[in-house]
Amino acid sequence: MKSFTMKFFQLTGLLSVLILSLFATPIVAQDADSGLKIVTDPEVITLDVGQELQLKAMLLNAEGEVQPDTMIYFSRARRSLSVTRSGLMKALEPGSFTVIVYKTAQGDHPVMRKNVSVTVNYPKLDRIVFNDVPGKLYAGTSFQLESRVYDVLDFKREDLEVSDYKSSNPKVLDINQFGRINAKSPGKAKITASIEGVTKTQEIEVVTNPVVSVEISVNEEVARTGDVLTLKSVAKDKKGNVVSDAPIVYSFTARPDDSRGEAAPAQIEQNGKFVANKSGLYTIAARNSGSVAETTVKINPRNVQREVEILGNAKVTDVPTSDLWVWEGVDGRDYAATGTHVGRGEAFFWDVTDPENMIAIDTITVDARVVNDVKVSEDGKIAVISREGASDRKNGLVILDVTDPANVEILSRFDDGLTGGVHNVFIYENHIYAINNGRRYDIINIEDPKNPYRVSQFELDTPGHAVHDVWIEDGIAYSSNWTDGVVAVDVGSKLGGDMESIGGSPENPKMLGSFTYPSGWNHAAFPFKSKSSDNFYIAAGDEAFPGGIPAGWIHFFKLNSWEEAEEVARYEVPEAGTHNIWIKDDVMYVAYYQGGLRIVDVSGELMGNLYDQGREIAKFKPSVNEGIGPNQPMSWGPQPYKDMIFVSDMNSGLWAIKLKPVQGTASN
Amino acid sequence: MKNHKLFSFLLTPILFFLLVPSASFSQDYYVYVAAESEDEVHLIHLDGKTNKAEIAKTIQVGRYPTETDGPHGINISPDGEYWFLSIAHGNPYGMLAKYKTGTDELVATTDLGMFPASMEISKSTGLLYVVNFNLHGDMVPSTVSVVDPDYMEVITDIKTGIMPHGSRITDDGTKQYHVSMMTDELYEINTAGLNVNRTLSLKKSAMKMDGMKDHSDHSEEHKENHEKHMKDGTHEEHSKKENEMKEDHSGHDMDGMKKNGMKMMHAKPEVKPTWADPHPTKPFVYVAGNGSDEIIEIDTEKWAVTRRFKSGKAPYNLEVSHDGKILVASYKGEGATGIFDLESGKEIAKIKNSRKVTHGVAISSDNRYAFLSVEGIGGEPGSVDIIDLKTNKRVAVVETGKQAGGIVFWKQVAQ
Repeated sequence: MKSFTMKFFQLTGLLSVLILSLFATPIVAQDADSGLKIVTDPEVITLDVGQELQLKAMLLNAEGEVQPDTMIYFSRARRSLSVTRSGLMKALEPGSFTVIVYKTAQGDHPVMRKNVSVTVNYPKLDRIVFNDVPGKLYAGTSFQLESRVYDVLDFKREDLEVSDYKSSNPKVLDINQFGRINAKSPGKAKITASIEGVTKTQEIEVVTNPVVSVEISVNEEVARTGDVLTLKSVAKDKKGNVVSDAPIVYSFTARPDDSRGEAAPAQIEQNGKFVANKSGLYTIAARNSGSVAETTVKINPRNVQREVEILGNAKVTDVPTSDLWVWEGVDGRDYAATGTHVGRGEAFFWDVTDPENMIAIDTITVDARVVNDVKVSEDGKIAVISREGASDRKNGLVILDVTDPANVEILSRFDDGLTGGVHNVFIYENHIYAINNGRRYDIINIEDPKNPYRVSQFELDTPGHAVHDVWIEDGIAYSSNWTDGVVAVDVGSKLGGDMESIGGSPENPKMLGSFTYPSGWNHAAFPFKSKSSDNFYIAAGDEAFPGGIPAGWIHFFKLNSWEEAEEVARYEVPEAGTHNIWIKDDVMYVAYYQGGLRIVDVSGELMGNLYDQGREIAKFKPSVNEGIGPNQPMSWGPQPYKDMIFVSDMNSGLWAIKLKPVQGTASN
Repeated sequence: MKNHKLFSFLLTPILFFLLVPSASFSQDYYVYVAAESEDEVHLIHLDGKTNKAEIAKTIQVGRYPTETDGPHGINISPDGEYWFLSIAHGNPYGMLAKYKTGTDELVATTDLGMFPASMEISKSTGLLYVVNFNLHGDMVPSTVSVVDPDYMEVITDIKTGIMPHGSRITDDGTKQYHVSMMTDELYEINTAGLNVNRTLSLKKSAMKMDGMKDHSDHSEEHKENHEKHMKDGTHEEHSKKENEMKEDHSGHDMDGMKKNGMKMMHAKPEVKPTWADPHPTKPFVYVAGNGSDEIIEIDTEKWAVTRRFKSGKAPYNLEVSHDGKILVASYKGEGATGIFDLESGKEIAKIKNSRKVTHGVAISSDNRYAFLSVEGIGGEPGSVDIIDLKTNKRVAVVETGKQAGGIVFWKQVAQ
């Protein structure tokens, strides 16, 4: 009986699978059971841009007879090939696309679908456009030609690359397949670029090169890795006159101290900036035709590395810790507040006066599952915590009296219009800046913290905009906006000048500028005026999880004006992902999730990847074996405070550390 | 003789299988439930023999491991091969994720609108219709995204009301129903035409404004008519008038208002409908009146409200049993589950849930069990409460990740 029972259930199981498989029929263009199939007229479709075509789809039975049915049409690339529900197609851009024809289910007939390939011809090419080619080149110099190809509809053809270059007189100048022009001897020559029957010709005159010498100087002959050196070069004629329009090409040769397979020891820009990643001797050459000048610089190790002393750990191991804020209380003692992530809606308050014995002194619990952010006012009396995941889905923020951090009192809640959740907050001059539902930030007056009221909102108008964080320095709000990058808004700065956007206030925020980068990962921002250079930087941090693993880096924008900034450097730990950052006295503290806390020297001018330049002062990987992730760091946020550094870690809670004194180090 | 014995041996279990309803044997039941504040989906297994239930598997979901992405709506393709999950939060848009049932491997994702929520695939078109709830956004009309679940591409967005929720499709796949929470409307979408067929105001006040009698109350006359209708499917003439009148009040001309430069003003919602589920065989749709504490029955042939059942506090989701006899509703406002007899319109049982904030409902394919997701509050775990619909008693509770929400019945198999 047992055997029969087993076989019975095996059989019923098999039958169940067979029966289920009957319903698991994929959507097809031809139904084998009924013999029905979708045919389209025409079957092969080729269109020109702008052309329209009525696609007709029919349902035929096995005998080839047209069956009444409903067909609906969709384009898989609506911006390139539009199609109405009734099948009227219009080609908008060249390329290969697919239109899908659906037959809805009718009675026993299943849903069917047919993919129709549509080729939209590329329009004829119209022209080649060169970059700014000088009409005159000095013999012996070179120039990189860049070509762009456009079609008759003014589409730039990104898929085409010109490689057919010719010179009318190779003795005067030649040009290779990559567009590199070498001016050889005085005379005139035409360069011609060709592609698919379109040509572009430009005449270039090669003139005698008056340069007989080049001089080079560097601002520092002995420097450290990561120091950006500035090169100055002049080209002179035989009379000693400066030839101001003579091009100079910089290059270098390296003799790194460690020559055993060391790679990429330095970086040089053609604007005369040089930075070495590795110590050693570098010979930098400035060249114009046959005139070359060299200078040698010695690059020493940066030697900024210091050891970390762990002062204490306030363990939180039953709920992930989120952000932190450390402040001096009105009683002169030191306190910290930490949030919680995917927890019980708690914010913890700690007495950290003795960092080796940090004591939990109070807990505030609100209706939330995430208290992502905590901030305290400049006078140490008022705190604000964010609320997300409320049980009634009405999120917002809570304002606290932290005058006595051991007896924190809830002064008020502010939820009006914030129900989507407040992810980050900032307090600045009696106003809370609250990230509202990831779409904008609201500015809330808390002069009377029991009666907060909204004074304004700031929201971008870009398509699909989103904002993650906001930080305020000197009356300027720096928000982090993912694909829209860092946005600077005047909310009460003392900026001078005649920019229209200067003169904002909390009631009337005015946008100064924005600084984007291609990845669209902008999650945090910290502005800083370099104390060791005149530069003003914005450090823009990523948050990204490609493949589920934290990644990203810190982007450094050097601001030339509020309208113009250039991304000049990065700090990229290859094996980890960035989160929150803090910069103080030319030292950056960055919580690098699984990479722990990184402390980085960001003094002086910045260029290249700071990670490679020996600028990392220290790293600290907080972990405890009873942590949420046992023995694994997941650092959330740093804060330098007095002579210490506090860091919150998702897995293990709040940590206080200190950099040990600089030891005597030998430098070569 | 030997062959005959072999034939009998093979035939007997086949006949046994075909003739004896499978429900007569103990069954294993499986549901998927999303824990919105934990970024997890659990596969819940109920042993129908012992009524013991457990988490069979937990699947981590979401885009950002260190953020709460908020898995909200969940459903299974008609062929049972895949489950689909709406992830509510994004930068700023949410997304749809497709997983293989059984292995639970992520197959593909596609971006949707703001706070995408409930969804279902039409058996008629094979397309998935998901409402973009936009729960916390501006009070502006939102969309229903239509997704090709094979390619995982949004093929169109259909404009709808404010805070649409409760996307459910008729058994023949031709009509999708959802509600517009902030305009008190029921929307009907033609799944093939991909357009809004019609809308219906669910307000009582909409009826009374013109001094007309509200036929949606529980008058004896109406009850009689309804019972007749339930039995023979015929309709009363007076409902046509009701229908015509209601259509006049069924919605706002958003486009027209915008074109005329008018600022859209919406009356404060009374009903706050949050779910719509069509009857499996009859032309009715049932709506949860979250703000008015009622279940509303709409006759889709008359396009009129035909009955209103007083419910517990703040009904949120509901599901009509597959035999069309009962309706199970989650009472979000009181942490309870209501069971209604659809013929009488009476609440025949109210079962207290294991914790507060009852969310979703899924009924097993044999109509034996109702699975209720219960969110809980704060750091409290969520749960799935399992109710035996024979006894109307809670028979099992499974603790889940925080804020158990979207829930869908996957399968039952004979033990």
